[in-house]
Amino acid sequence: MSRSLEDALFGAPSPRARAVTRAASVAAAAVLLLLAAGIVLRFHSAGQLDARFWSFFVWPTTWTFLAKGLLGTVASAAMAAVIALALGLVLVLGRLARPRLLRWPSIAVIEFLRGTPTLLLIYVCFLVLPSVGIKLSTYWMLTLPISLSTAAVVAEVYRAGVLAVPRGQTDAARSLGLTEAQVFFLVVFPQALRYIVPALVAQLVIVVKDTTFGYVVTYGELMQNAKVLIANYHALVPVYLVVALLYCLVNYAISGASRRLGRPMH
Amino acid sequence: MNEVSRLLADYGPAFGQALFLTWKLTLLSFVPGFVLGVVVTVLRLLPLPPLRWVLTVYVEIFRNIPSVALLIFIVFALPDLNVVIDYEPSVVLTLALVCSAFTADYLRAGINTIPGGQIEAALSLGLRPLRVITAVVLPQALRSVVQPMTSLLIALMLSTSLASQVPFPGRELTALVSKIANDSAAGMAAFALAAAMYVATGLLIAWAGAALEKKARILR
Repeated sequence: MSRSLEDALFGAPSPRARAVTRAASVAAAAVLLLLAAGIVLRFHSAGQLDARFWSFFVWPTTWTFLAKGLLGTVASAAMAAVIALALGLVLVLGRLARPRLLRWPSIAVIEFLRGTPTLLLIYVCFLVLPSVGIKLSTYWMLTLPISLSTAAVVAEVYRAGVLAVPRGQTDAARSLGLTEAQVFFLVVFPQALRYIVPALVAQLVIVVKDTTFGYVVTYGELMQNAKVLIANYHALVPVYLVVALLYCLVNYAISGASRRLGRPMH
Repeated sequence: MNEVSRLLADYGPAFGQALFLTWKLTLLSFVPGFVLGVVVTVLRLLPLPPLRWVLTVYVEIFRNIPSVALLIFIVFALPDLNVVIDYEPSVVLTLALVCSAFTADYLRAGINTIPGGQIEAALSLGLRPLRVITAVVLPQALRSVVQPMTSLLIALMLSTSLASQVPFPGRELTALVSKIANDSAAGMAAFALAAAMYVATGLLIAWAGAALEKKARILR
């Protein structure tokens, strides 16, 4: 199908229809511009366009501080992703194992970690674990819960990939005399990875989003550093706008990479 | 076990209320978010480039922004622009906006699975393009997104935990656990109970979604 749905629906308009859509387009543009103007006016009348709210974005120190925050975000997200990929593999091996003694606990762990909000796990590491004598650094208070809940999701993604590999592959590998471990790691899993790389990359967006909770445990990531900047300059709106934009750009780039990887290879 | 029974004696009704509030926030944000997502999807189909462009930006922003960042912006930054929204509506608004962006994204993917020949057939029957959207495109797209929407609803239910980040008069599950952990030594038991409630709710949604999927699925 080469034609997009929009083309099929509105592709060959009559002259009258073309005039109508052009008028509607102009009207829509006018309404949207009015809306934008209204927002700018709102900023102006609230005094948020004053130079003092924006001038510190000219200073390089502001940007190095935000960059440090972004680095903290990346450090936490990358570690969480690595742990999740490894732990997810352990979980999926248990999930797919034949003995019930391995399978049922794995299902329970996956469902528990997947079904609990990451924020709740962070609170456990932050509030509950210290009271029983386990003291984590702020980095691990953030990274560990994210790793755990991501690992469960990653395990399910792995499983979907493994189940998508044709059964004949397993049978053929077995008939060649490979051991069960060889069948999985040399034949099934590498093929499964191919199917699921886009989904795994997309999961990274959720990991980056979850690191936003860093300010809960006062770990120096982007959101926490934004709070510090706000405390210094009393500029809530500009700082939060810039930080939200940064998050959007990072996640948009990751989603874009995931989409590109999802395209069929030729 | 002893710890849990003591916890239930002390905080039993509070847990009931917290679970109820979690459900309420989930539903209050899912329904408008879903409707808004459908509206955005339809508007994006219209041949109006400016509208399409703005709505694409809208979807990309709310799909990619962390919900906490959005909530904090709405609660703490908007008052500086003389827009004051109460805490509970703020949480609902945050989740509804995020939900609408994901709904629009999933519906678009659902629409892409509809064979183009159907549109041509409907048009050749004399249906107007808008009627084709409401009678041919949307019903099939909605039926094909039951599974992703179920996952979205579960994710949204888990996201209501960020209500604990604003000073809310009522407490949902996560806020209740953090309060109990602050006040007493029963944090672990409280966490286990809250986690069980979240997991049970998620499984319930997944089960209902699977049942609906079985009915709505289109076999091609």
